Amino acid sequence: MNHMLMPVLAQGPAPELMSGVTLYHYLAVSGAMFVIGLIGFMTRRNLIIMFLCTELMFQAAGIALIAFGRFHLNHSGETFVIFVLTVAAAEAALALGLVILLFRRKETLDGTRWTELRG
Amino acid sequence: MESMLTLLWPEIALFITTCVVMILGQSKFKDTRDLCPGLAAIGLIVSGFLAWYFRGVTSDAVLPHLPYYGKLVICGVGLMLLMLVAGSADRELEADAAKGKPFEPIRSTRGEFYSFVLFSLTGLMLCTSANDLILLFLALELTSLPTYVMVSISTNRNRSMEAGVKYFFLGALGAAIFLYGFAMIYGGTGTTNFEDISRTVAAQAAGGGINPLVILGVVLSLVGLGFKIASVPMHFYTPDVYQGSSSSVAGFLAFVPKAAGFFAILSICGLVGWSHGVTEQSLPEGPRVLLWVVAALTMTLGNVLAIMQRSVKRILAYSSIAHSGYMLVGVIAGPGPSGADFERNGIAAVLFYLVSYGVMTIGAFAVLACLEKKRSDGSLDEVDDIDDLRGLARTRPVLGWTMVLSSMGLLGLPPLLGFLGKLPLFTAGIGAKEIILVLVLGINSAIAAYYYLRLAYTCFIESPETTPNAPKVVEAPFAARRWAGVISMLCVVGLAVFGSWLGNLAEIGATYRPPKYVQPAAAVVPVSAPTP
Repeated sequence: MNHMLMPVLAQGPAPELMSGVTLYHYLAVSGAMFVIGLIGFMTRRNLIIMFLCTELMFQAAGIALIAFGRFHLNHSGETFVIFVLTVAAAEAALALGLVILLFRRKETLDGTRWTELRG
Repeated sequence: MESMLTLLWPEIALFITTCVVMILGQSKFKDTRDLCPGLAAIGLIVSGFLAWYFRGVTSDAVLPHLPYYGKLVICGVGLMLLMLVAGSADRELEADAAKGKPFEPIRSTRGEFYSFVLFSLTGLMLCTSANDLILLFLALELTSLPTYVMVSISTNRNRSMEAGVKYFFLGALGAAIFLYGFAMIYGGTGTTNFEDISRTVAAQAAGGGINPLVILGVVLSLVGLGFKIASVPMHFYTPDVYQGSSSSVAGFLAFVPKAAGFFAILSICGLVGWSHGVTEQSLPEGPRVLLWVVAALTMTLGNVLAIMQRSVKRILAYSSIAHSGYMLVGVIAGPGPSGADFERNGIAAVLFYLVSYGVMTIGAFAVLACLEKKRSDGSLDEVDDIDDLRGLARTRPVLGWTMVLSSMGLLGLPPLLGFLGKLPLFTAGIGAKEIILVLVLGINSAIAAYYYLRLAYTCFIESPETTPNAPKVVEAPFAARRWAGVISMLCVVGLAVFGSWLGNLAEIGATYRPPKYVQPAAAVVPVSAPTP
C-alpha cells in the first residue's frame, strides 16, 4: 500500500506557500551556495572560515541531491545525503583536531602565517 | 547482492585486520605492540588471496574485472608501502620506553598509524569495486581521510602540521567539487547505480544527446578528482605536502590517492562511455577537451617546475604531477576498438602504468627514508637536498643503485619498467588519433630526462661530500625500508623482463563492457494527484 501512496504524496500539490517553487529554484539556491563557498575558500585566510566554506559546498550538493531525489521520485538522493552528512561530520572532527593542533603551536588561525613550505 | 558481498571479501578481511591492529597498537607490552606491522602484512596477504580466489566474481559496473586486477595490485604494492612506512610512528616514544620510561598509550600513535594505512588501502579497494555513486564517494573519502592524519603525525615538526592542514583543506575542497559533480550526474539520470546510469546515458545519446547535467557532472567530478591525482588546477599542494611529511608517508601519498583517483576517473568516464565523437571511440566533447587540456598542462607544468628544484622530495612531487598527466592520455584514449590488444587499449595502459609508477616511486622514496642527516649537535633531520645524495652509489651501493634505477625507470629508459609502461600510453594515444597530445607527451619525456638524469648523476658519478662541517648522512635504523627499496629495484628490472603476466592481468582488468542501448520500457505514467 505504501508503494502506491508514495508517488501520490511526492507529486501531490505542494502547500500554498511554496506553490511556485520548482526544481530550478532549488538548483539556483544550491548553485549559489556552492559558488559562495568556493569564493569564500579562495579569498578568506582564517582556517575555520575556510573549513566552513567547504562545508557550505558540501551542503549545496546535499540540497541539489534532495531536490533531484524529489524530482525523480526516488530515494537515492536522500540516501546519498545521509552518507554525505556522516562524512561531513567526520571531516569536521578531523578539521577541528588539526586546527587545534596548529593553534597550540602558533596561537593564530591565520593560514598565511604558516609559510615554512615554499619552493 | 550475494555477488556484491563476495566481491567485498578482500575489503572485509582488511577491515577486520585494521580493527585488530588499532587495538594491539595500544598494548602495554612491547612484544604485542611490535606485532602490528606483521599483522597488517598478514591481513594484506589474506585479502590478496581472497581477491585471487574470487577472481571469477565481476562487478556490474562498466569495467567488470577492475576489482580483481585492482585488489591484487593494491595488495602487492600495499605490502611494499607497508615496508616503507614501517617504523615511522612512535620512534621517540619507543626510544623512551627502551630507556625504562613507562609506555603511555595516550601519546602513542603506532596503532592508529598502521590502521590508517590499512583503512586507506581498504578505501582504495572499495574504489575498484564501487558500483554506485554513493559507494564511490564513501570509498574516496575513506581513502583520503586517513592520509590527512598520517601526514600530520608523520613527524613532530611544524612542517608536518602545516602540510597536513594544507592537504586536508584542499582535499575537502576537492571532495566538495566531485560530490557536486556526482549530484549533477544523479540529477541528469535519476539513479546512482553505475549500470543504470550508463544505460540511461546510452539511451540519451541515442535519442537526441546526453543531458547537459550529466556532462556538467562528469566535468565537475573530473576537476574534483584532479585533487586526488594531483593534476592542474588542483596540483599546487603536492610539493608542499610531500616535503612536509616524512619521506615514507610521501611515498604512500604518491601511490594511494593517485590510484584511487584514477580508478574513480575510469569509472566516471566509463559512465558516459568512449563511444562518442567523430570516430565514435572517444569521450563526449566536454570531458574530452577538459581532460586533453588538463593532461597537456599537467605534464608540462610538472616537468618544467621539477627542473628548478633542489629538494629531492619536491622533484619527486613534481614528477608525480607529471606522471598523472601521462596517465590521463590513456584515459582520453579509452579502450579503443572492441577487442583491442594491449597496445591499443588506453585503460589497460593506465592500469599497468599506475602499478609501474607506484613501484618505481616507492624505490626513490625508500632511499630517502633510509637516510638521515646528523647535524653537529647530534640532532637528526631528513635527507632532502640533492647534495645529500652525492656519491651514494659509491658509499652505499644498494641505496645508490636503487635511486639510479628508480630515476631511470621514472624517466622511461628502454630496458626498464617505466619504458614498458609508457609505450602503451603512446600507442593507445596514437590509436585514438590524439597525435598532438602524444607529441606533448614525447616532448615532456625529453624534458623530464634533465632532472631524472641529474638525480642519477648525483648518486652515481659525483663524489661524496667531504667538507668537514657538513651534516653527516647516516643510515636510518629501519631494515624494512631498505628491503622496500631492494624489492622496488628488483621489480624495475624484473617486471620489465618478466612483466607480460602483469600486462595480461591489466588487460583483463581493463575489460570494457559498453553499456547496451535498450529500448526504454514504457515510461511510468505518473500517478496524478487526487483533486480535492
